[in-house]
Amino acid sequence: MESDCFPYPIAAEGAEPFWSACNRCELKMQRCADCGDYRWMPDEFCPQCGSLAADWALLSGRGHVTTWTVVTHPVHSAAISRVPYIVAEVEMEEQRGLRMISNLVEVAPESVVFNQRVSVTFQSHPSGQKLPVFRPLVE
Amino acid sequence: MRSIRDQACIVGVGHTEYSNESGRSEMRLACEAIGAAIDDAGLQRDCIDGIVKYTYDNNDPVLIAKNLGIPRLRFFSEVAYGGGGGPVGTILLAAMAVTTGQARAVVVFRAMNERSGHGTRRYGQASTGRAAVGTSSYHAPYGLFTPAQMVALAAHRHMHLYGTTSTDFAEIAVAVRAHANRNPEAYMYGRPMSLDDHQNSRMIATPLRLFDCCLETDGAAAVVITTPERARHLPHPPVFIAAGGMGAGPWNDRAMIKDIESAETEATVIAEHVFKDAGVERKDIDVLFLYDHFTPLVLMALEEYGFCGRGMGKDFIKDGCLRWPNGALPLNTSGGNLSEGYIHGMQNNIEAVRQLRGHSHCQVEGARHVFVAAGNGIATTAMILRREY
Repeated sequence: MESDCFPYPIAAEGAEPFWSACNRCELKMQRCADCGDYRWMPDEFCPQCGSLAADWALLSGRGHVTTWTVVTHPVHSAAISRVPYIVAEVEMEEQRGLRMISNLVEVAPESVVFNQRVSVTFQSHPSGQKLPVFRPLVE
Repeated sequence: MRSIRDQACIVGVGHTEYSNESGRSEMRLACEAIGAAIDDAGLQRDCIDGIVKYTYDNNDPVLIAKNLGIPRLRFFSEVAYGGGGGPVGTILLAAMAVTTGQARAVVVFRAMNERSGHGTRRYGQASTGRAAVGTSSYHAPYGLFTPAQMVALAAHRHMHLYGTTSTDFAEIAVAVRAHANRNPEAYMYGRPMSLDDHQNSRMIATPLRLFDCCLETDGAAAVVITTPERARHLPHPPVFIAAGGMGAGPWNDRAMIKDIESAETEATVIAEHVFKDAGVERKDIDVLFLYDHFTPLVLMALEEYGFCGRGMGKDFIKDGCLRWPNGALPLNTSGGNLSEGYIHGMQNNIEAVRQLRGHSHCQVEGARHVFVAAGNGIATTAMILRREY
């Protein structure tokens, strides 16, 4: 069936706090309650120390672009009206290697640069779920 | 017995035509390729007692056995991770089965109508579901759907870190296309590609162009594995499985978004032991079979398997070393996933065997050792094959 929007996320098991925080315009990630290591994506055990104890820590929402692609060929019906759009990997400032996938918004594809500083903002998906996306940081 | 080194042989290979519309079922494709491989091995159907499949393959080994008249299956198994696990992992399981006596002769195969979509969904298209689950729930809402888009992210970072360019990616596509143009069975036979053709092909997801991406194909390919003792009585000179391995780590948790800065990767895990296990050096490899789903991943495989240093892929290939006949390390000499046909890598095994039998359309004279790697960027598998002499 043709869809006019990208799929909405169904929270993976244990990831509900991430998505509900997004709906309050907060970017939260799991942080090990024992060793303090942040992790993305959400999971059961801390990959650093093996602890099961984790909190949902509020992030600053700031980070930098480690790589990106400008999608020009639509492979989804909702992409036809959206190409070109930017899918980026953003490393959060809280921890080296703490990288998530998102869109870059409010920036032209040809203006993006490596290590560009960005900050989170939230866009509503038609399903009602808010998605964290990133825009150039105004310092 | 502590190793599979030279304890199992490839004795038969078979495949269907490679097309964009096979016009028949995936079961029929599987049985045609497997039947051809058994015939090539000079075996009777009832000599086959094991079948190993890709987890992704839709065909049930029991039904294949029924269709082919294989009376008794003593070994059946499957390997996950698509084109990473399947093309070589299936052969390694078969080798372990015949080495340990769990089976006498095992066939491994891949059959799919991936281009026409009759049975298998096109991997280059997005799922039409309205919701995204699992790892995809972190990607699809942003319009990140396909392997090409995911590989584009790693390819772009490789360009940033090491100065790799799109023309470096083109060298791989152009090299294997030239090989395909000597192979009348290749899908891209008769359709040469120049550097300009590559650079003018449409952008899919920057920096990946259309000609950086593999084909989508309907077809099937199969390989028969048995013991050296049995192999000696069969028509073709046996191709020995000298060593092989599987590789993955926590860095493989993000679908096909490769972490190119990780010191360890799916390939380095294998590279650490596979040459040692086979007792050969990289310089002993005569023909290279790297899974060419996307050109940037071929560069990364060259680097991570240790044929050159990390980030040095572009320098390694720039003098044409991947090109038959003059290159030192010809790559995918029947055209690969990029230009022969995308049978999820299984077709490369058939060409590896042709090289060691001396029957390739791009024959490397006196080829003794070949290196075969399955798809990287995900959990993967690789092996070294050799010709007895």
